[in-house]
Amino acid sequence: MAATGTAAAVNVNEQYNYDIVRKFTIMTLVWGAIGMFVGVYIASELAWPWLNFDNPYITFGRLRPVHTGAVIFGFGGSALFATSYYVVQRTSQARLFSDGLANFTFWGWQAAIVFAALGNVLGHSQGREYAEMEWPIDLLILFVWVAYLTVFVGTLMKRKQPHIYVANWFYLAFILATALLHVFNNLAVPIDLFSMKSYSLFSGVQDAMTQWWYGHNAVGFFLTAAFLGMMYYFVPKQAGRPVYSYRLSVIHFWAIIFLYMWAGSHHLHWTAIPDWTSTLAATFSIMLLLPSWGGMINGILTLSGAWDKLRTDPIMRFLIVALSFYGMSTFEGPMMSLKDVNALSHYTDWTVGHVHSGALGWVAMVSFGSLYHLVPRLWNTPMHSIKLINVHFWLATIGILLYITAMWISGIMQGLMWRAFDDFGNLQYSFVESVAAAHPFYIMRAVGGAFFLSGMLLMCYNVFKTIRKGSVGVEAVGIEGEGKLSPNAA
Amino acid sequence: MSQETKTNSGSNEPKSRVKKTGGVPSTGHSWDGIEELTNQLPRWWVWAFYLTAIFTVVYWLFYPAWPIGSTFTKGVPGLNSITYTATQVDGTQVEKTTHWNMRSKFMVEMNELHAAQKQWFDKVAATPFDEIAQDAELMQFVTSAGKTLFSDNCAPCHQAGGQGVIGFSPNLTDDHWQYGSSYAQIQDVIVHGRQGYMPPFKEIISDEEITQAANYVLSLSGEPHDAASAELGAKVFQSDTASCYACHGTDAKGKEGLGSANLTDKIWLWANIPEIENADEKLKAVKNIIAGGLNRGVMPAWEDRLKPDQIKLLTVYVHQGLGGGK
Repeated sequence: MAATGTAAAVNVNEQYNYDIVRKFTIMTLVWGAIGMFVGVYIASELAWPWLNFDNPYITFGRLRPVHTGAVIFGFGGSALFATSYYVVQRTSQARLFSDGLANFTFWGWQAAIVFAALGNVLGHSQGREYAEMEWPIDLLILFVWVAYLTVFVGTLMKRKQPHIYVANWFYLAFILATALLHVFNNLAVPIDLFSMKSYSLFSGVQDAMTQWWYGHNAVGFFLTAAFLGMMYYFVPKQAGRPVYSYRLSVIHFWAIIFLYMWAGSHHLHWTAIPDWTSTLAATFSIMLLLPSWGGMINGILTLSGAWDKLRTDPIMRFLIVALSFYGMSTFEGPMMSLKDVNALSHYTDWTVGHVHSGALGWVAMVSFGSLYHLVPRLWNTPMHSIKLINVHFWLATIGILLYITAMWISGIMQGLMWRAFDDFGNLQYSFVESVAAAHPFYIMRAVGGAFFLSGMLLMCYNVFKTIRKGSVGVEAVGIEGEGKLSPNAA
Repeated sequence: MSQETKTNSGSNEPKSRVKKTGGVPSTGHSWDGIEELTNQLPRWWVWAFYLTAIFTVVYWLFYPAWPIGSTFTKGVPGLNSITYTATQVDGTQVEKTTHWNMRSKFMVEMNELHAAQKQWFDKVAATPFDEIAQDAELMQFVTSAGKTLFSDNCAPCHQAGGQGVIGFSPNLTDDHWQYGSSYAQIQDVIVHGRQGYMPPFKEIISDEEITQAANYVLSLSGEPHDAASAELGAKVFQSDTASCYACHGTDAKGKEGLGSANLTDKIWLWANIPEIENADEKLKAVKNIIAGGLNRGVMPAWEDRLKPDQIKLLTVYVHQGLGGGK
């Protein structure tokens, strides 16, 4: 190890804070199971509307933000907290800057997700996609985020390495960008200090563009940059191989950071936004393709010379398939952002399919792989069952393929039906005919989701059994100071 | 130096770097055992990135792209400009040519479609109702345009096939027409909308009389009823206190001018009596309507939502296309 200095000011008892990593790891699984269950349920409601049971609180409109909140912020967010706290400690060779603040981020973040879900079900929503949380929850998230930034930067400043590892650049970019996005997209005036209701500071087109600047960069920084950070640690770690190219990591990092911020308005093609805005968004999206692929290339080529691991190691398979889906959806995205392609795809299920090829294929798969790498190290014991990891991999892969195939077909079909005219110049189909035509594919999507969910539940079981085994093991191997140095350990 | 005591992952550090990396050295740094190689950027990756940049610049030539002060670049003149015909406020038509923009593209496409439709709509407007039905080619157009107009505007209440929902919207495919079945009458309904109303009778006649009237109503369409009570109900129906006959007619067959229901046929608008199996429940359902009255049957006026030629076409569609007109 390229360690600096001789143990000058180092406390010999200093240990990494794994307690906080374990907490977030467990909540990743909990939110994954809940969020994906809600997802499968609302997908089923679209296929079989009687599942509403005439109960307004469980209809699609209310549960949909519960689903997105639980999977993006609950599952994805907890996975990022867990891995970033783990990675920043290990690559800085320093304990987290503040256990107290780290614990605050844990409880604050979990509370925010619970409050957001309750708020959505009860009808408190800003009506901003992925930012439905009303102002009190936004404030809570802000405090959590400042604490997160403090812990992360504080730890980096304590590092005993001359340089900051690339994974941490990505994590830091994600933390900074998310702070910026969260603050500006949630500038709102409450109607009363004791009311959940607030009104946006922006109006009309400006409001829509602020929202999609947020929405797109939530994808760009929360769901992409941060998970690339995860990738940059866990892929070389699991492969036991050096990262393919330092230079590529620098170039594609800055290209992504620079280009993503321009692209949000492609969510508003063919609306009341100015034409030039729409054009710029489309072209910056096109220019994002190769920088995005930079991460995929660097990850996949890291494995070169060790391809046999794909046959033997299901964790490696998760990570590499995640990168493949990342490459596929970062190709699809720029294509959909072209004006003429978007004219077909906008408002259709194609968009839903695109999001899920990224969310399930990239975000969830890379998280699964990373957690399977992480759990044995956190609980100091091998995974309960490698075979079940393998089964999880196939359930997840089949689920994704069913899901995105269904959405491609129904999305393109919807787009074509909506724009079809007969020889008289009349619209050929009514809207409801396109709904009826999509029905079989809604069933297929729900089935795909159920596959993915069952894999997630299998992982929960596997990890649960591992932890049961591990907690006994911790005593046996006599891990020093476990629970002692971490004041909040149970 | 701090140490994590748990190192069960083993060392991932390459023992023989040269062998594992094909001769490419690492940068010399190591983080938790991870090193980075000094491989150059893949050439194809660099060139593909340049290609997207070139594509981008070309795209900017075709579309409005960069804001400059209070205006913006409009693309190269003539490269992607749009010419279309616009109708001005005073009704005159002018031809306009502009740089590419969403609004003009929309105008071009709508103009094309309207041009295709116009000859047919003009023909519908110029042809008397009876003759439209005789013209097979014109009826093809009516069916095609009517299906979409009906589906997007009428089907939310009257359902996709016009079969309606008992208790909510009338069935347009059966033989019963509350407000008349002629072309002119149907057109009048679409233009002005309708609001069905029946006053509540619970304050006007006694509960016993309501029971009798309900039995009488059930008897009219052959539903199970108490014959003795129905006989008394007939008197209530024709009495000046309840004066049911005023709207439903002395023969209880309804009045087209008022839209009052024909109580003698087997078509039910508000209570799905034939579907109820229990005779007591049937009676209760009819009593509820007599006691509480009805103020639900609102159909909006379409004169401000659809154009006159669209309404005329829908009239023919409902009359002919749905097969219920007489």
